[in-house]
Amino acid sequence: MWVLALAVALLAGVCAAGQAKTLYWNLASEPPSLDPSLATDTTSHQILKAMFIGLCQFDDATMEVLPDFATSWEFDAATVTWTFHLRNDVYWTDKSWTLEGVPVTAGDVEYGIKRLLAPETASEYAYVLYLIKGAEAYNTGVGSADDVGVKALDNYTVAITLNFPAGYFPTMAALWLCAPLPRVAIEMYGDKWTEAANIVTNGPYILGEWVHEDHLVLVKNIDYYDVDNVKIDEVYCTMVNEASTAMAMYEAGVLDVNDTPPLEDMDRIKSDPVLSLELAQAPRLCTYRYGLNAAKPPLDNILVRKALASSVDRQSLIDYVLKGNQRPAQTWTPPGIFGYVDGVSLGIGYPYDPEAAKQYLADAGYPGGVGFPEVTLMVNTSQAHAKIAQFIGQGWEDTLGIQINITNQEWGVYLNTCATDAPQVFRMGWCADYPDGNNWMNDVFHSGSGNNYEKYNSPAFDALVEQAAVETDPAVRLDLYKQAEILICDTDVAFIPIYFYTFNQLTKPYVVRTFSAIGGESWKNWDILDH
Amino acid sequence: MFQFILRRMLWTIPVIFVVSALTFILMHSVPGSPFTRERALPAAIQKNLEAKYHLNDPLWKQYGDYMWGFVRLDFGPSIAYRSRTVNEILAQQWPVTMTLGAVAFVFAACIGIPLGILSAVKQNTLIDHSSMVVAMLGVSIPSIALGPFLIWIFALKLKWLPVATWGTPAHIILPALTLSTFYLSRFARITRASMLQVTREEYIVTARAKGVRESVVNLKHAFRNALIPVTTIAGPAFADILTGSLVVEQIFGIPGIGKYYVTSIGNRDYPVIMATTLIFALLIIFMNLLVDISYALLDPRIRYT
Repeated sequence: MWVLALAVALLAGVCAAGQAKTLYWNLASEPPSLDPSLATDTTSHQILKAMFIGLCQFDDATMEVLPDFATSWEFDAATVTWTFHLRNDVYWTDKSWTLEGVPVTAGDVEYGIKRLLAPETASEYAYVLYLIKGAEAYNTGVGSADDVGVKALDNYTVAITLNFPAGYFPTMAALWLCAPLPRVAIEMYGDKWTEAANIVTNGPYILGEWVHEDHLVLVKNIDYYDVDNVKIDEVYCTMVNEASTAMAMYEAGVLDVNDTPPLEDMDRIKSDPVLSLELAQAPRLCTYRYGLNAAKPPLDNILVRKALASSVDRQSLIDYVLKGNQRPAQTWTPPGIFGYVDGVSLGIGYPYDPEAAKQYLADAGYPGGVGFPEVTLMVNTSQAHAKIAQFIGQGWEDTLGIQINITNQEWGVYLNTCATDAPQVFRMGWCADYPDGNNWMNDVFHSGSGNNYEKYNSPAFDALVEQAAVETDPAVRLDLYKQAEILICDTDVAFIPIYFYTFNQLTKPYVVRTFSAIGGESWKNWDILDH
Repeated sequence: MFQFILRRMLWTIPVIFVVSALTFILMHSVPGSPFTRERALPAAIQKNLEAKYHLNDPLWKQYGDYMWGFVRLDFGPSIAYRSRTVNEILAQQWPVTMTLGAVAFVFAACIGIPLGILSAVKQNTLIDHSSMVVAMLGVSIPSIALGPFLIWIFALKLKWLPVATWGTPAHIILPALTLSTFYLSRFARITRASMLQVTREEYIVTARAKGVRESVVNLKHAFRNALIPVTTIAGPAFADILTGSLVVEQIFGIPGIGKYYVTSIGNRDYPVIMATTLIFALLIIFMNLLVDISYALLDPRIRYT
């Protein structure tokens, strides 16, 4: 309570002195959950990043793993254990005195990870931590929490034991999955512990107010261990779903940043003297693909898949339909992620080559598309996906002389369809959970993965990614991932990579900001100038 | 009259059961569960979740449990939003939609009906023709076009009103206006047609012959009877405005209940689907009852047995 009073006094003092720095931000929707164990969407993660510290954190630009709660960490090959040494000056903060002023300790990290893995929590991201000893057994209900390889050795040291030496584990330590959680508050309030009156946090901002579906206010946490470097005092978040309305609010000066400029406005923004200077495009760690069901004829013929892959005019798609300076993709892992290979310049995958495409189709037995059965291209219901499908489908029809049937299904139905009986061509995407090729190659396309909608089953591929997961030499890992990309994109044509996403953001000139490639802006590093 | 009302209220019970049963069957026939995700959950976790929400029980038991809770006004948890119950969602957001709907209804009635009367009284003049053109536009222009257009004019160019969101009376004006135009136009047209018909009746001629002032003839004698067809559409109009608010709430970023009608289906959030559908059904039944009662008040020739 006194923290809030002090924060209010601080704000009042700053107001009196000059200005409280308030950032006006729009969340595209009400955050479905502010529980770090349950949140899966980018809106929730944006707020969580401001409210909770992590074991480690990412550098926004380079994605290097930096200290946060942990000051240093080392690996012991003999016990396959990572040991993290923690700060002793981090405290819980909350309005209802549940844990006010109590230090955050290693026990909270152990609790946080075990709670994530608990079967009752039913977290969608628990699978990411299956590399921790005993994690999968506990999560699927066959093991106990005590056998999970996370131990608080003392108040400020935590040891995490893995199933195999994973060189990329620190990238996972920077995820919200390993963040310390307030056990007392969670046990006291249950599902309601994330409401503004109950929540207990430890990051740069506290949850000042949360009116569901309407707005959310974050206030600077004066107990934050690095509070002297946090310049913005308050973040006021509206929740306007409609992109065109958010754009109107940005233009009216009600919002300071617009991270979802509507596609229809892109031409106008780029030619407007003021807006064009406020537009910034930054890479985003996501890839868009068209999955191919190689079990369904005629796609069971690899020449047919090569023909389809070679007749996608990615650059025109980006220039005329997407308009966001995205980058064409011929491989799967996007630039910025360890394991990325530049397929375009190295000649991996299939560039746009209509003549080669026609030749592949002819070699497959369908010269000029004669006799080729109709192919179904399915997307989930959305205007954007429909436009892309129309462009690419039309390209196939024009170049190859074949018939494409474009259909769409509602998202839940679509996922069900793709999981049980995927259409011949279907649209999928993937965004990085953590910045390592393992998340892209192994987590998605291993033959046992639930995310492998293509049902790609290659023992050679599985061997490559399994070996890369346990390999410690980065140079060897990079080469293994390169071989895997060649295998899945070039040799086997399991899917057609289309493009790597970008962020398009409009920012007012008085906001001094950073761009986070992995998603979730670091408001603690931002500033607002006088305006 | 009292017996009539009682009978209508008793009829509500079977109607609600039919509506709830149909909704329940339909929503469970749609493929996909609340836990279908792009990143597939392990089978064991999915089973746990389904057990937590009793989705493993036989369908008749799930239905029975839900309806038992419903009659005790316990609408269950929200599966998609774990920290909120359906009761809380309704309590926080239903009033917003009601306010928006009520203001829109008032705009529609207070502008539309007088416009209709004026057009009927001044039939075939410029006022009549231009009013009807406005009415035509109001019925034809959808809210997804009108809303952003009004924002562009009144918020961005003239800067008279806020762009979006909710909070002050000024925030209500543009969304209520957008929401009201369809029924405003319908009220205008129906009032006009009804007035024209009534003013041809013999008792109106008698009143004029008796020397009653024209304004009294129109407003006291003609209007009351012309109001009956208008009342017929007014009831469902109110219910319609409340759920048509979905689009307007989306455009103006208003924290109402409208969007739950659609998002709950996408989320397969069964308790929310049931609660929102049943409340809408109850609202329609109630509004229709009010309309029927108002007939008796408006026209003494109408009596209920």
